[in-house]
Amino acid sequence: MKKILVADDEMAIRLLYSEELKEEGYEVYTASNGREALEIVEKVPLDLVILDIKMPEMDGIEALRQIKERHPHLPVVLSTAYGEYKQDFATWASDEYLVKSSDLEDLRATVKRYLKD
Amino acid sequence: MASDRTAFLTQMVEISTSTISFGERLSNLVHLLARHLKVDLALYFGLDKSKEVLGLQVSSQGPVPVSGRLEFRLGQGVVGEAAATRQIRLAYRYQEGVVAANAGLERLLPEYETLAAFPVADDNFLYGVLLLADHRERTFGPAERQTIHLVTLMLAGTVRQALLQEDSKKRIAELSVLFEVGKALSATMELDELLERVVSTTAKVISARGAGLHIVDRATGQTKVSSQYGQVPPAQLCPIMPVPAPGGALEPPFIQGQTQDAEGRTHYYLIVPLTFKGHLEGSLCVFDKITPEGEFQPFDPENRQLLFTMAGLIVNALENALTYQQVESLAERNERMVRNLTALQEISRALLTTVNRDRLLEILLQGLIHPQGLGFDRAVVLMVDEAGQTLHGVKGAQRPPEEAAELTLSEALARPPGRPLPVADWQIPLRPDCGSLALAVLQQRAFHIHQRETGTPAALDAQEYFITPLVVKDRAIGVILVDNQDSGRPLEPEPLHVLQMLATQAALVLENARLYSAIEANNRELMLIRERMLESDRLAALSSLASGMAHEIRNPLVSIGGFARRIGKLVEKDSPLRGYVEVIQEEVSRLEKLLKEILDFTGENLSYFGDHDLDQIIEDTLVLVQRDLDAHNIKVVKELAPLPRLHCDDRQLKQVFYNLFTNARQAMSQGGTLTIRTYPVEREDGLYAAAEVSDTGGGIPLEVLHNIFNPFFSTKDYGTGLGLSIAQRIVSRHYGQIEVKNELGKGVTFIVTLPIAKYCLVKDAGRQAAPAGALHVPTGGR
Repeated sequence: MKKILVADDEMAIRLLYSEELKEEGYEVYTASNGREALEIVEKVPLDLVILDIKMPEMDGIEALRQIKERHPHLPVVLSTAYGEYKQDFATWASDEYLVKSSDLEDLRATVKRYLKD
Repeated sequence: MASDRTAFLTQMVEISTSTISFGERLSNLVHLLARHLKVDLALYFGLDKSKEVLGLQVSSQGPVPVSGRLEFRLGQGVVGEAAATRQIRLAYRYQEGVVAANAGLERLLPEYETLAAFPVADDNFLYGVLLLADHRERTFGPAERQTIHLVTLMLAGTVRQALLQEDSKKRIAELSVLFEVGKALSATMELDELLERVVSTTAKVISARGAGLHIVDRATGQTKVSSQYGQVPPAQLCPIMPVPAPGGALEPPFIQGQTQDAEGRTHYYLIVPLTFKGHLEGSLCVFDKITPEGEFQPFDPENRQLLFTMAGLIVNALENALTYQQVESLAERNERMVRNLTALQEISRALLTTVNRDRLLEILLQGLIHPQGLGFDRAVVLMVDEAGQTLHGVKGAQRPPEEAAELTLSEALARPPGRPLPVADWQIPLRPDCGSLALAVLQQRAFHIHQRETGTPAALDAQEYFITPLVVKDRAIGVILVDNQDSGRPLEPEPLHVLQMLATQAALVLENARLYSAIEANNRELMLIRERMLESDRLAALSSLASGMAHEIRNPLVSIGGFARRIGKLVEKDSPLRGYVEVIQEEVSRLEKLLKEILDFTGENLSYFGDHDLDQIIEDTLVLVQRDLDAHNIKVVKELAPLPRLHCDDRQLKQVFYNLFTNARQAMSQGGTLTIRTYPVEREDGLYAAAEVSDTGGGIPLEVLHNIFNPFFSTKDYGTGLGLSIAQRIVSRHYGQIEVKNELGKGVTFIVTLPIAKYCLVKDAGRQAAPAGALHVPTGGR
C-alpha cells in the first residue's frame, strides 16, 4: 500500500484529505507543521508528500527544501490557498503545485499520477 | 498911415491867433507883411532840429518847391548871420561879397538890391529868420522896424506854439502808443502774437517802413528772426546786432547807420538791443523812416529813445511770456505725465488681475489704443516662437471709431478690444536682414521708424511706427508695435516713453503667465499621478485585505465543500438530504469562484509580455464564451482588421475581453448581437490598435454609468463587480484606454485602445518593446 503524508495546520483539511485518500486505498500519515512532517519523513518510507505552505513552526517551503535535500526522489506536492504563488513553485523545486479546492478532483488526479505503479 | 498900421497889426494878430494850420498861418503872415511893407519878396527860413541849418519854409511868391530847397548854414549869408548874431542884418548888392554869400537868393529875386534879415526869436529860442528882399535900394525906418519886430515876435510865437503843439501831439501819440503797446503786451501771453504786435506797433509809431525783431535762441546761441513787419531790407542792407561772445564786451548801446541799394537810394536803419539782466536777448530794428511825402529819413534821437522804451517793454513782456510759456509747458507736461502714469497704473493693475495669456494680451492692447490709455491708433503684439526662430503675430487691435469709444479706460480694460486686427499670418524670421521687427528682438532695443521698410507685413501699411521689445531676464520674448496710421498724428515722445515702461511690465506678466501655465500643466500631471497613486494605494490596501481574507476563507470552504461531497456520496439517491448537500456544494463552488476573482484582481500577478496578435487574442477568448453565447441565443459579428502585433500580456488581455464578452452576454439575457470590431487608430503620439465590443442589451442606465469602472460595483444580483475594473487596470497597465459609448435603448460599446509599441513612444512599456531606432518620435505634442 502506497504511503502518503499530508501536512496541514488545519485539522479539517488533514481529516478531509486523509479520508479522501484512504478511500482511494492509500495509507495516510498526517502532520500539523513542517517539523512534524520532517520527523515522519525520516521514520516512514513514504511514496508522496502533500505540504501546505502556510504552517506554524516550520512552513511548507522550508520543509520542502529539507525533504528534497535528503530525499531528492521523493515527490512533494505543494497544496495551498495561495493561488498567486503558482508561478513560483518551480523555483521551490516542488513537483506539483495545487490550489486548494473543495472539488477534490485535482488532488485525486495528481496523487494518482505520481503513484500509478 | 497910423490907421493902416493898426489895421495891418490887427490882421496879423487875427491870423496868428486863428485856428488855421501852422503852415497857412505862417504863409499868410509872410504874405501880409510883404504887401504891407511893399517889398518884392518876403521869405521865412526855419531853423531845423539840428540847430545848424536854416531852410526856406515860406515864400511870399507862392509855394516853396520841395526839391532844391534853399538852405543857409548858421553864419552863412545874411540869413545865417542874422540867426547867429540874433541881430538884424542889412545887405546891399553893391557891398562886396553879398552876392556870393547869398547866392541862392539870386534865383528867387534876380537883380535884387536890398536884403534884410530879421531873427525870429523869443527870449529863449531862435526859431528862424525873416528875410525881406527888394529891387530897390531901400532902408527900413524906425516905424517899419518896429512893425517888423512885432511881426517877428508874432512869427516866433506862432512857430513856438506850433512846435509845442507838435511836440505835445507827438507826446500824446507816444503815450497812447505806449499805452496801446502796454495793453497789448499784457493782453496776450501767446509769445508769437505778442512779438507780432510789438513789431508792428513799433513800426507804426516811428513811421518806419519796416521793423524786425531778432531773438537769441537760448539753446543754440544763434540770433534768428522772430517777427517782421512791413518792408524789411535784405540782410546786406542792414546788419544784425551781433551776439557778444560769452564773457566778452557788452553789445553797443545801439547801431544806427545808412546804406545804399542798387538804385542808389539811401536807406536808414536803427537797431537797439534787447537786454535782460545783462544778457542780450535779441534786438529790435526799424528801417527807413518815411515822411508823409514818402521820403526816407534818418531816425532822430527821439525815435531812438522811443525804440529803447519799446525794447524795455518788449524784454519784460518777452521774459514774462517765456516764463509763462515755460510754466505752461511744464504744467502741461506734468499733466500729461500724470495722465500717462495714471493710465499706466490702471493698465498695470488690470494686468495683475489675471494669468491668462489671452486676457493679458487683450488688456495690453486696450491700454495701448484707448484714448485714456496711451491712445495709439493701432497696436500689435508679436511673440517669439519656442524655437526662437520666428516672430509671429499673436494679437492686434485697432482703435474703434469715436462714437464707440465712450467706455472709460477701466471699462475698456475689462473687455476684449472692439476691432481686432488680424495678425496671425505675420511671420518674421529672426534674422538681422529681416527688418526692425526682427532687430528689435535680436538687439533688444526699440525702433522708431519714419519710413516704411520693405519686407514688413503687408498689413503694416504705416509710414511711421514704433517697435519696442518685450524683454524678460535679458531675453526678448516678443515685441509691441504701435502706429497712428488711422489719424495720421505723429507719434509723440511721451506715450512712447510710457509704452516702454509698460513693455517692461507686460513682458514680465506674459512670462509669468507662460510659467504659470507650465506650472499648471505640471501640477495637473502631478495631480493625476497622485490620484493614480492614491488609487493604487487604495487598491493595494484593498488587495492585501482581500487576499488575507480570501486565504482565511478558502481553507474552511475547502473543508465544507470537501466534506459535503463526501456526505453526498454517502447519502441515498432518493434521500431528501441529497438536495441539501448539493446546495452546500454549489454555494461553496460559487464562493470559491468569487475568491478566485478577488485574488486575480488584487494579487500581484506577474506579467508575461510578448508580441501578440490582438485579433488572435480576441478569437481565443471568443472560444471560451462561445457556448455561453450560443446558449443565450446571441449572434456574433466579427469585423477584424489586420493589425501590427501588440507588445502585451496575452493572458491579461484575454481576461479583459473575457470580462467584456461576459458583460455583454449578461446584458443580452433575451438574446441579441455581439459585434466585435478591430481597427488601427492614428494619433498625435503614434499608432494604436482599437477593439470595439458592442452589445444590443439596451445600454446602461445613466444613473449608474459613472460607477461602472469602480471595483465592487455591480448591477447584477451575482458577481463581484470587479469585471470592468479588472479590465480597466489591465488596459491601463498596457498604457491603453478603455472607453464606453452608451446608447440608451440600444446598447453599449466598449472601446479598448492599445498602443502599438513599435509606432508609439509609450513611456516604460514602449521603451522595452521597441528598438530605439524604430521609435516614432511624436511631433507637435506637448
